[in-house]
Amino acid sequence: MRKALLWCWALLFSLAAYSQTKEITGTVTDSRTGNPLENVTVKTKGGKATALTRIDGTFSITVDQKIKELVFSYVGFEDMEVPVTASSFNIQLLPSDKSLSEVVVVGYGTKVKRDVTGSVAKISAKEITNTPATSFETAIQGRAAGVFVQQQNGKVGQGINIRIRGAASVTAGNEPLYVIDGIPVITANLSSNGAQTNPLADINMNDIESIEILKDASAAAIYGSRGSNGVVLISTKKGKSGTSKVDVSYFTGFQKPTRKMKFMDAQQYVDYFMKAAIGGGKQDYIYYPDDYANEQEAIDASIAFVESRLTRYSAGNEDWKTAKVNTNWQDLAFQDAPISQYDVNFSGGNDKTKFFASGQYLDQDGIMVRNNYKRYSGRLNVDHQMNNWLNIGMNMNLARSNNFRISNDNAFSTPLQIVALSPITPEIDPRTGLPSGQLDPNTGAPNTNYPVYYNPLLSVNNASYETRVNRTIGNFYGNVKLSKHLNFRSEFGADLLSQNEEAYYGTVTARNTGVPNGSGFFTSDEILNVTTNNFFNYSNTFKEIHALDVSGGMSYQKQTRTSSLAEGETFPSDAYKKLQSAASKTDATTESTEFTFLSYFLRANYKLNDRYIIAVSGRYDGSSRFGTNNRYGFFPAASAAWIMTEESFMQNIHWLNFLKVKASYGITGNAEIGNFDWRGLYAGDAAYGGQAGQRPIQIKNPDLKWETTAGMDFGLEGSIFNNRLGFEIAYYERRTRDLLLDVEIPSTSGFTTQLKNIGNLTNKGIEVTLNSTNVSNKSFRWTTSLNFAANRNKITNLGGQVLGADQNKAKEGEALGIFMAREFAGADPANGDALYYKNTLKTDGTRDRTTTNDYNEAQDVVIGNPNPDFIYGFTNTFVYKNFDLDVLLQGVQGNENYLGGGQYMSASGSNGFDNQTLDQLGAWEKPGDITMIPEARLFYGNGVNPSSRYIANGSYLRVKAVTLGFNLPAKIAKKMKLERLRLYARAQNLFTITNYVGWDPEVNSDYQVSNINQGVDFYSAPQIKSIVFGINIGL
Amino acid sequence: MKHIFFFSILLTGLALVGCNKKLDTRPTQSIDVDDALLTSNDVKVALVGAYRNFGDNNFYGGQLAVASELLANSNELGWSGTFQGLTQIYNKAIPVDNGFITDIWIWGYRTINDVNNVLQALDVVDEDSKDRVEGEAKFIRGSALFDLVRMYGKAWNDGDPNTNLGVPVVVTPTAGITEASLVKRNKVAEVYTQVIADLTDASNKLPVSNGFFATKIAALAMLSRVYLQQGKYADARDKANEAIELAEENGYRLMSNYADAFPYTDPPSATGNTDEDIFAMQVTTSSGENDFQTYFSALGRGDIAIEDAHLNLYETGDERLNLFYSSGGTVYTGKFDNLYANVPVIRLAELYLTRAEANFRLGTSTGESPADDIKKIRDRVGLPEITAANLTLAAILKERKLELAFEGFNLHDIKRQGKSIGQLTFNSPKLVFPIPIRDIRVNPNLDQNEGY
Repeated sequence: MRKALLWCWALLFSLAAYSQTKEITGTVTDSRTGNPLENVTVKTKGGKATALTRIDGTFSITVDQKIKELVFSYVGFEDMEVPVTASSFNIQLLPSDKSLSEVVVVGYGTKVKRDVTGSVAKISAKEITNTPATSFETAIQGRAAGVFVQQQNGKVGQGINIRIRGAASVTAGNEPLYVIDGIPVITANLSSNGAQTNPLADINMNDIESIEILKDASAAAIYGSRGSNGVVLISTKKGKSGTSKVDVSYFTGFQKPTRKMKFMDAQQYVDYFMKAAIGGGKQDYIYYPDDYANEQEAIDASIAFVESRLTRYSAGNEDWKTAKVNTNWQDLAFQDAPISQYDVNFSGGNDKTKFFASGQYLDQDGIMVRNNYKRYSGRLNVDHQMNNWLNIGMNMNLARSNNFRISNDNAFSTPLQIVALSPITPEIDPRTGLPSGQLDPNTGAPNTNYPVYYNPLLSVNNASYETRVNRTIGNFYGNVKLSKHLNFRSEFGADLLSQNEEAYYGTVTARNTGVPNGSGFFTSDEILNVTTNNFFNYSNTFKEIHALDVSGGMSYQKQTRTSSLAEGETFPSDAYKKLQSAASKTDATTESTEFTFLSYFLRANYKLNDRYIIAVSGRYDGSSRFGTNNRYGFFPAASAAWIMTEESFMQNIHWLNFLKVKASYGITGNAEIGNFDWRGLYAGDAAYGGQAGQRPIQIKNPDLKWETTAGMDFGLEGSIFNNRLGFEIAYYERRTRDLLLDVEIPSTSGFTTQLKNIGNLTNKGIEVTLNSTNVSNKSFRWTTSLNFAANRNKITNLGGQVLGADQNKAKEGEALGIFMAREFAGADPANGDALYYKNTLKTDGTRDRTTTNDYNEAQDVVIGNPNPDFIYGFTNTFVYKNFDLDVLLQGVQGNENYLGGGQYMSASGSNGFDNQTLDQLGAWEKPGDITMIPEARLFYGNGVNPSSRYIANGSYLRVKAVTLGFNLPAKIAKKMKLERLRLYARAQNLFTITNYVGWDPEVNSDYQVSNINQGVDFYSAPQIKSIVFGINIGL
Repeated sequence: MKHIFFFSILLTGLALVGCNKKLDTRPTQSIDVDDALLTSNDVKVALVGAYRNFGDNNFYGGQLAVASELLANSNELGWSGTFQGLTQIYNKAIPVDNGFITDIWIWGYRTINDVNNVLQALDVVDEDSKDRVEGEAKFIRGSALFDLVRMYGKAWNDGDPNTNLGVPVVVTPTAGITEASLVKRNKVAEVYTQVIADLTDASNKLPVSNGFFATKIAALAMLSRVYLQQGKYADARDKANEAIELAEENGYRLMSNYADAFPYTDPPSATGNTDEDIFAMQVTTSSGENDFQTYFSALGRGDIAIEDAHLNLYETGDERLNLFYSSGGTVYTGKFDNLYANVPVIRLAELYLTRAEANFRLGTSTGESPADDIKKIRDRVGLPEITAANLTLAAILKERKLELAFEGFNLHDIKRQGKSIGQLTFNSPKLVFPIPIRDIRVNPNLDQNEGY
C-alpha cells in the first residue's frame, strides 16, 4: 500500500514536473448532516482552473504548481479557502444563510436576525440606491411584506401614505414613526395649498444604509405610545476602517405619465352636446310646461342656448360647426420631464476614526406643467474611538429643496382640470392672439366665462408657487464602555426644518383667484425637534449557554413649531411679485405650538442554549398631548422564539437547514393627535369688522388618552434545500381600542365633534416572504424574492357613528374607508332616466332590489372598498458575467377607487359643458336602449349624484422597477485607474397592467386625503414613469 | 474610578431630565375656556366673535340667502354652478345629507351657542354696557332662530304653527355633551315666541346708535319682518314705522342712486355700511365673507345667471335694470360685484316696503301713506309715481320683489302670500329644508321633516 502510494506520488511528481501542474482530489460534504454535496465549485485562488463536485461529492482538479489555495463555494454555504498542503482533501462546508447572520437594527440597539423574536423587515441600500424618485418611500414600495406604500399622485415631492399591517386609527395618525439614526424625525405636513408636502423627501436615499421596519407589537412597543402604526428605522451609511473610497454617480433620463385617459374630440363633443340640448329641452318642457307652447319649442330654445354656448367656447366664432379646432387639452397639461441626479461620496477610516461624507443634487421635473423639484443635500458621518472606553460620533445632514408646486387636485388651476375644457376651444384665442381666457378685448381683463372654466395653462407663466425647505438633521452620540459587559450610550439629536412657501398669482389668473390685480402670500414655518436618548446596555453570556442582553434608559423629545403667514393683493403690475408692493395686505398671522414626550424604557433578551429566546420590553410614556387624568401610559410586550433546527431531533432532516418559530404579544399606542386636543378652548381668531373677537372652538375632555393596540404575531422562519429557499410566514392580529375619535355630537350644541376615546377596530393578516436562489454557478446567478401580504381591516365599534364627509366612510362592521353611496342601476330603458336600486331594508331583512329614478328614494349601501385584498412584490435578479438585470413587479389587488371627477367628466353631458370621457358616447338615446349611461340632458344632472356609477376597479400589477447594469471587468477598470465602473439603465413604473378606467390606479386625491378618505381620483396627476441612464464610478 | 465618575454624571443627567413639568405645555393662539369669560372685556370680545360666526359665509355671510333664492326660483335664475349641493337646492331635489343645508344649520347653532355664552356671562359685564351687550346677543339669537325656523320648519301660514315642528330653541351655552344636549324640535309657534321675545328685549335694550353692530332700529326692523311673516300686519307696520322714524332722525336715508346701495370699487375694497344699511354683515379685506359675490357675480364663480323671465318684470326706464350686465352672453346682477362689500341684511328700503304693504292691507297710513312710501322707492330708480288711486297690493308686492331681488326675501314672500314656485305650492315639503342627517343620527330626539 505504502509502495503504491509512493508510486503514485512519484507519478504525480513526474507529471507535475512535466506539465508544471498537479491533480488534487477529494470529497465535499455538509458539515451539519455529513451528506455529500454535488456541484460545489472548486476554484484555484489566483488561477484559472475550476471544477465541480460529482454526485457523491467527490472532485478532482488539475492545478498549476504555483497555486497555494483552493476555494470551495456553494450556494447556501460559506465559502471556504483551503491551503494546498496535500493532494486529497475531505472538505466540510458550513451552511450559511447570510440573511440569518445579518444584523438588524431594532429600537435602541441591534440584533442578529437569527435571534429576532418580533417581526422586522429589512430593506438594504442595494435595493433603493439610485431609484429615480423624489423620496425613499417610493423605493421601498413592493419590497417588504405588509408595507403598503401609496403615492397620492404624480406631483413631485408631495404626500406618500404608508400603512404597515393596515390602518389602526380612524382619526389619529396612521403613518408610522420615522426614526433616523436613533432620533425621531419630523414628518408634519406644512403645506398651505391643501395638498401635503413630504418632509421625508429631504432625505437623500443614497445615504441610507438600511431601512428596518418594525411591524409587530413586540418590536414596536419599545416606542410605546407611538408604536401602533409601526416604526421605520433608517440607518445612514458609515465609513469602514481600512478603506478609502470615492464614489461618483450620475443618472439622467426622462419621465412620462404612466397612463392617460380618453376624451371626446371636437366633433364628438359638438354632436354630444347637441343631443344633450335635446335631452335638456325635453326636461324643460316636463318641468316648466307653462313656459313653452309645446315640447319642440322647449327643445328649440335649448338648442339655441347650446349653440350660443358652443360659439362662446369656440372663441366667439362658428368654427365648432365644422370641428375646425380640435384641441387635445389633456396633452397640454403634461410637459417633457427630464430628471438628473449627481452624487459623490467619500468614505473610509482607520482603527480609530471612520467617516462617510456625501453630496447630492437632484433636479426632477414633474410630468405636469410647471412642476419641478430640486434638492441639494450633504452629509457627514464621523465615528471616533477616543480611547479604550469612549467612542463618540456624529451624523449630520443638511438639505435644501425647492419644490415648484402646482395647485391641489380640487383647484381649477391644477393642470389636469384642463380636461374639462372643450376641444372646440382653441389653445390660442384668435381674437387676441393670446392663450384662451387670458384677455377679453371688451373688458381689457381676463375672460370670465371663456373657456368653459379657468384655463390652467394661464397659471403656467403667470403664477408661481414655490416651497423652499432647509433641513438639518443631526445627532451627536457617545458610547461609554463601563465594563466588559456594560455600556452606556447617550444620544442628542436635533431636526430643524424651516420652510417658506411663496406664491404669486398674476392678473391673468383673476378668474381663478377672484382677485383682479394680482395676489400673493408668504408662509414661514420652523419646526425644531429635539430628542435625547440615554440608555444602558448589558450583555453577557453565562456558562456558555445563558445569553442575556438588557437595554434600558430614558428618552425625552420636545417639538416646537412656529408659523407665520402674510398675504396681500392688488399689485402695481405683474412685474412686482413681492408683498411689499401689495396695495392691500389682506392677512397676517403667526402661530406656535409644541408637544413633549418623556419616556422610560427597558428591554431584556434571554437566550438559552442558542435556541430558546425570550424577550420582554416595556415603555412608560408620558405626553403633553393627553388629558390631565391620563398623562402616562405603560406599553409592555413579550415574545419568544425557538430555533428548532438546533435540536438534536431535527438534525436528521437534511433538507431543512433552519427553522424558527416565534410568537409575540404587546401593547402599543397612538399619540398622533393635535397638541391641545384635550382642552376646552376659545380662539381669538374671530375678528369682525376690524374689531377683535374670540369664539369657542373646542369642548374639553380631560380623560383623553392614547389609542391602544394589542398585537399578537405568530411567525415561522426557515430555509431549506441547502439554504436555497428561505421563507418567512407570519400571522398577526392587531386589536385597537379607545380609538381617538372625533365623535359627532349634536350641532345644536354649537360644536360638531368632540375628541373622545371611543371605538375598536381590528387588523388581521398574513404575510409570506420567499427568497430563493434558482441558479448559481460560475457565470450565472438568478435569485427570486416574493412577498405577499393580505390584511383585513374591520371597524368593530364606533359608538354607532358613521364617519366621513364624502363617499368614504368609517362604519361599524366594515373596513375603514369603504365607499358608501346609492347603487346605480344604469339608464331606464324606457326614458333614459338614471336608475338606482332602492336597497331599502324590508321587514324580512332583505333589501328592496327594485329601482327608482328618485335618488332620495334609494338608500346608501357599501359600493366598494379602497383597501386591497392583498399586495405583493416579486423581484427577480439575474447576474450573467458582468451584466445584471433586476426586475421588480409590484401589485395591489382587490381594491376599488372612486372616480370623484366622474360627476363632471362622465356625466352624460348633464352637468355643465365639461368635455366628457369617451364612454359617455354610449348614452341612452331611444326607448329600448339598454345602457349604463343615462340620457344626455344638459344641466339636469342625470345620474351624477354619488353612486356606484363612479366606482372603478383599482387593482393593478406594475413593472415597478427594472435595472439593467453592466460592470466593467475589474481588470479593465484597473487599467483605467478605477476601482470600478458601472453603467446602467433603470426604469420606474415602466408598465402597468390594470382595468382601471381613470388615470392611474395608485391614487389618493391630495386635497381630501385622510384616514377615511382613500382611493379617490379627482383630476389627480397620474404616477410618473421614468427611464434613466446612469453611471457609477468608484475611485 | 474614571468610569464611576462618568457613570454618576450621566445618572444625574437622567434624573434632571426626568421632570414632569416638561409635559405641561400650553397653547399659544387659543386659551382655556375657564379663562375665556372672566372680565367685562372678555365677554365683549366674545360678542364680537359671535358676530364673526353670525356673518360666516355659511350663514348670514350669504349662503343662507343664496340657498333660499335658489329654492325660491322657478325661471328667473339660471344655475350653472358645479356645487352639487346648490344644484340639488335649485332642482328642489334635496338629499338629507346636503352639505350646504348642513352647514347653514351648524353655523346657525354655533352662533346661538356663542351668544348664549355671552348672555350667561352678563354678570361680569360693566353696568354701562350690560344692556347693550344683552341686546346685541338677543338680536343675534332672535334673528338666527327666525331664519332657522323659516328654512327648516313649515311656513307660519302652512297649517297650525302650534303643532308644526320648528327648530330646537337653545338658550343655554354648552359646557359638555349630556342628555340635555339631545334637544327636541320646538313647535313653530314656540320658536316664534322666543324670536319675538329676544328681538323685543333687544329693541328695548339696544341704543339707537351702535356703530355697525345691532341697534334698536335693527331690532325693530327685524321684529317687523317677523310680524310680516306671521301676517300680523299691524305689528309689522308699527315696528317698521318706529324703525323708520328713528332711522330718519339718525341720518339713515335711501341712497340717491340704487347702485350706490351696492357699492362697487375697482379694485374691490371694503366699503362699509351705506346710509341705507340698517344692519349689514361687515366684510373687510381681512375678515368677513360675502357669498353673494361668490355665486351671483361674474367676478366670483358666476354660477347664477339672471334670466329674461326676471328682466322682463322691470318697467322700461327702471334704473335697477342698469345694474345688470352681460358677460359672454350671460346676464348677471351687479348688486354683489364687490368682493369686500358688506352683506346686506336690512336696508331702509325694506322698511318702507313693509310699512306700505301693511298700511295698504290695513287701510291705514301710519307714518306715511302706502303711495308715498312706494313713491320713495320708485322715485329713486327713475320710475313714475303710482297714485294712491292706482296703487294695488300686487304693485306693492312687485315693487318689493324687484327692490329686494336676490337678497333672500323671495322664498319667504312667496310662502306668506301662499303662491307657488313652478309646480310646487307654497306648502310643498320640497320647499322646506331637511333636518341635516348628521344631527338626526346623533340625536334620537330630532324628527325629520315631511318628505325626507
